[in-house]
Amino acid sequence: MDDTTPPPPAAPASPPPAPPHTGSPTDFLKGVVGKRVVVRLTSGVDYRGVLSCLDGYMNIALEQTEEHVNGAVTNRYGDAFIRGNNVLYISAAEPI
Amino acid sequence: MASQILPLELIDRCIGSRIWVIMKNDREFTGTLLGFDDFVNMVLEDVTEFEITPKGRKTTKLAQTLLNGNNICMLVPGSDGPDGS
Amino acid sequence: MDPSAGIQEPFDLIRLSLSERVFVKLRGDRELTGILHAYDGHMNLILSDVEEKIMIVDAPEGAPPGHGAVSIVKRKMEMLFVRGDGVILVSPPSRT
Repeated sequence: MDDTTPPPPAAPASPPPAPPHTGSPTDFLKGVVGKRVVVRLTSGVDYRGVLSCLDGYMNIALEQTEEHVNGAVTNRYGDAFIRGNNVLYISAAEPI
Repeated sequence: MASQILPLELIDRCIGSRIWVIMKNDREFTGTLLGFDDFVNMVLEDVTEFEITPKGRKTTKLAQTLLNGNNICMLVPGSDGPDGS
Repeated sequence: MDPSAGIQEPFDLIRLSLSERVFVKLRGDRELTGILHAYDGHMNLILSDVEEKIMIVDAPEGAPPGHGAVSIVKRKMEMLFVRGDGVILVSPPSRT
């Protein structure tokens, strides 16, 4: 046992610079998880729901999902997994 | 030799500007480019989607949108789409 | 209770549906329901006790959408492998 204390971690001379706002796809996705979104597939079918999560393939898990075809609701799902290759876009349906 | 500019460097210079995106199928988008990645997935703001059908054009307004790069065919920097210059 | 508890990535939704009856939407206007036995990263699926529905729309050329004659063919399969690239959506049983 000794009473030497480890040196305190070197305090940074200044706080690290805030990461620049890039507006990249990754940043967009971070902002939109948990929000209401519209997912449009290349077929034109829309899925409206709350974005639970997604991965690098744009595979998507949605909650409270409504399927819209030509503007009409055609199905409702509590949860839905959408395979990413079908996704045309993910659009925010409420302010991010 | 003049300095070579890479295609994606050109697109990088469009961040903050309007851009016209033409898909492989009969669909087009215009919006303000916020960012993109190596797959040319694009984040756009104040977006208009154009579906070109035999009967005419259907437009949809969208807020911030992540467009999958998979189906993108061409990009026209600084243009506001089929109606703009 | 948050229904999304325990879902970190989209595939979790599928993992939590193993041994349950799921709804699967496929390219080519096909729909399946069946018991999910296995899946992989391609979304290849093994389903049992499957009912397949095929929507055949016999619309005259230029008819407005939804105005063609739709016939539905149903058939049953005991055990089925689904190739992942045809999968559009998987919806687990509602957990409400």
